Amino acid sequence: MQTHFPNKALPYILLSPSVIVVLIFFVIPSVDSLYLSFFRVNMLGTKQIFVGMQNFTRLFKDTAYLNSVVVSVKFAIFVVFGGLSASLGIAVVANQRYRGFGVYRTLLIWPYALSPAIAALIWGLMMDPSFGVVSHIIQSLTGIRFSYLTNGFHALLFLSVAATWKMLGYNIIFFLAGLQSMQPELLEAASIDGANSWQRFWRIVFPLLSPTTFFLFIMNTLYAFFQVFGMVHITTEGGPGRATDLLVFKLYRDGFIGMNTGFASAQSIVLLIMVATLTIVQFRYAGSRVVYR
Amino acid sequence: MKHRRVLLVAAFLAVLILLLGACAAPVAPAGEESQPAAEGEAAATGGEPVTITFWNAMSGSRGEVVDDLVNSFNEKNPNITVESEYTGSYAETLTKALAAYKAGDAPTIVQVYEVGTQTMLDSGAIVPVYTLNQGEVDWNEVVDPIRKYYSVNGDLYCMPFNSSTAMLYYNKDMFEAAGLDPNSPPTTWAELEADAKAIMDAGVAEGGFSMGWPAWILEQMFAYHDQLYANNDNGRSGLADEVYVNSDFGDMVLSEWQRMADEGVLVYGGRTYKANDPFLAGQFPFLFQSTSSLAGILKKADFAVGTAFLPRFDGDYGKGNSVVGGGCLWLMDTATPEQQAAAWEFFKYTFSPERAIIWHKGTGYFPTSNTAYEMLKEEGWFEEEPNHATAFNQILSGADTPAALGVLLGNFVQIRDIVGTAIEDIVVNGQDPQETLDKAAAEANQVLADYKSLVQQ
Repeated sequence: MQTHFPNKALPYILLSPSVIVVLIFFVIPSVDSLYLSFFRVNMLGTKQIFVGMQNFTRLFKDTAYLNSVVVSVKFAIFVVFGGLSASLGIAVVANQRYRGFGVYRTLLIWPYALSPAIAALIWGLMMDPSFGVVSHIIQSLTGIRFSYLTNGFHALLFLSVAATWKMLGYNIIFFLAGLQSMQPELLEAASIDGANSWQRFWRIVFPLLSPTTFFLFIMNTLYAFFQVFGMVHITTEGGPGRATDLLVFKLYRDGFIGMNTGFASAQSIVLLIMVATLTIVQFRYAGSRVVYR
Repeated sequence: MKHRRVLLVAAFLAVLILLLGACAAPVAPAGEESQPAAEGEAAATGGEPVTITFWNAMSGSRGEVVDDLVNSFNEKNPNITVESEYTGSYAETLTKALAAYKAGDAPTIVQVYEVGTQTMLDSGAIVPVYTLNQGEVDWNEVVDPIRKYYSVNGDLYCMPFNSSTAMLYYNKDMFEAAGLDPNSPPTTWAELEADAKAIMDAGVAEGGFSMGWPAWILEQMFAYHDQLYANNDNGRSGLADEVYVNSDFGDMVLSEWQRMADEGVLVYGGRTYKANDPFLAGQFPFLFQSTSSLAGILKKADFAVGTAFLPRFDGDYGKGNSVVGGGCLWLMDTATPEQQAAAWEFFKYTFSPERAIIWHKGTGYFPTSNTAYEMLKEEGWFEEEPNHATAFNQILSGADTPAALGVLLGNFVQIRDIVGTAIEDIVVNGQDPQETLDKAAAEANQVLADYKSLVQQ
């Protein structure tokens, strides 16, 4: 379908607000970062030394950076696969028609409404090694002393679970919407044909949900790579050691604590390329399998 | 019609280009020369009203004391208005001030913590405070270790404001419960460990000790045992380009800490103040922490709090001193002569014994002037509050050597972060101390080399 504008300039004018926003908040900073990634810059930004690709070569030789890549990938796998399966499970259960479930469904989105800082504070207090309620319960049940401050594995697990929980509400809402827009006739027909509930879910519901799943897959991956800074900053601060030093946090440390602008710019460029590639691959690869109606 | 379209597109493009230009403009004022300090002019205190801005990192109860200070100054000086603004943590305040300077909107006065000292010295963006003094203030009035920390070649560069150091806090009730004398705290690490183990064995506490700011405590240990932390006399006789954190001494300290952590005596407590809560909750009897936590700990503790000098390691190490930390007030060179004169008035006011005493009592930071210290002594304050005297006696009893003065490093913020990570890797993740410290030192030296290349450009 094509819309005809009386004036050829009008569409450009109508587009300009979003173009300007994208330019100011995305294109210009990205170009600026790209430029700075070839320089060593002092803290005031008053002195710059051109260093060519040095920031990038250092980056890939930097064990701390490579560690951040591994940690981020582990974290993303947990958040994406753990988060999606948990929320799909919850959505299917919450989709049943019982009295009061409407309220229950509404409550499920609450975690998403919290700001990351508050969510992180809540989790940090619950799991606090010395006075956290949950860490106390874990210790009395299993004997394991859970401490995200002093145990690298605990710290990453803690952060992954908290970040997954934070995203649950968002995922559930989309899955619920997908489930509710499904035509009941399909499921009825399957029942008549003798499919049990297991078969109905995997043969009909799950494939029909694939556009939603695919969308959430991308959103959660982007979330895991880009939007977890606040939680790390408030709880583990990348530690202990570098156990939870996610890519975004490492970038923050180098750029805003170390004020190593050139090096941090190189990291942001790499991060940009990584996520862009990831999205393209996802679209290409998953696009052929997703059932779009 | 066609003409109009071209016009519209052209107008749109023009707007875009303007926007682009506006955004790109402040990016690269490369090689900008800083203004030389206006020496003579600064003394003129005109009758015209002057407004100066003061960015600081003092939140909570400390922020209230700052507000009180600023308000009473403004009342006494009708011609000067100091606008005090809380700009976040130390690191944030420093970053913001530098960014604001870049954008041509710097504050008149900014409070910078000790780690930012070299950065400020090399910034070319400040007016050294000694150039403002026309003999009105005797710099010898400033408590010795504090003055020396912020001086280069004997000249003071910023106005000492809130100074602290590290000391040992301990739980006297636990000492008694374990049958130890609460009035004889440990003086060496071996004694500390023995006391901690006795208390743990008595079932009074789960762990032995923890520390806030571990990388800073390590720096303290270097200075306290008269060990240089970096070359060129800790960066005081020239820009440091090599850290000694991986020296035999560093390896010894970290190996000890690792062993004690393995035995459950050292409880790792994060990089800032997180260790205070478990100490207050009675999880362990000892805490290494900044003196600036004193007021808070005394208020919250439901047990008798004792304080003591930092413990020493056994072995043939020299006598140094604990290092001054905390903040100093820097005057930015964007200030007009009138503003500089006004800032100097404000500096003198903060330094007056009366204000220094109020500041000390309200926060736990050192009184920065010797007169204030004498007045507090006469008043009987330190007998009344012996915990407030501990750190002061500690820094006054130390030796006066380059190593004891504390280290100045370019981009110290990042280096402390690197060392902090190494400490976690050793103490928490069980990595080999020497190897990990070597790696950290290599990283730190790289940072110093980069810094040097920029300063010398």
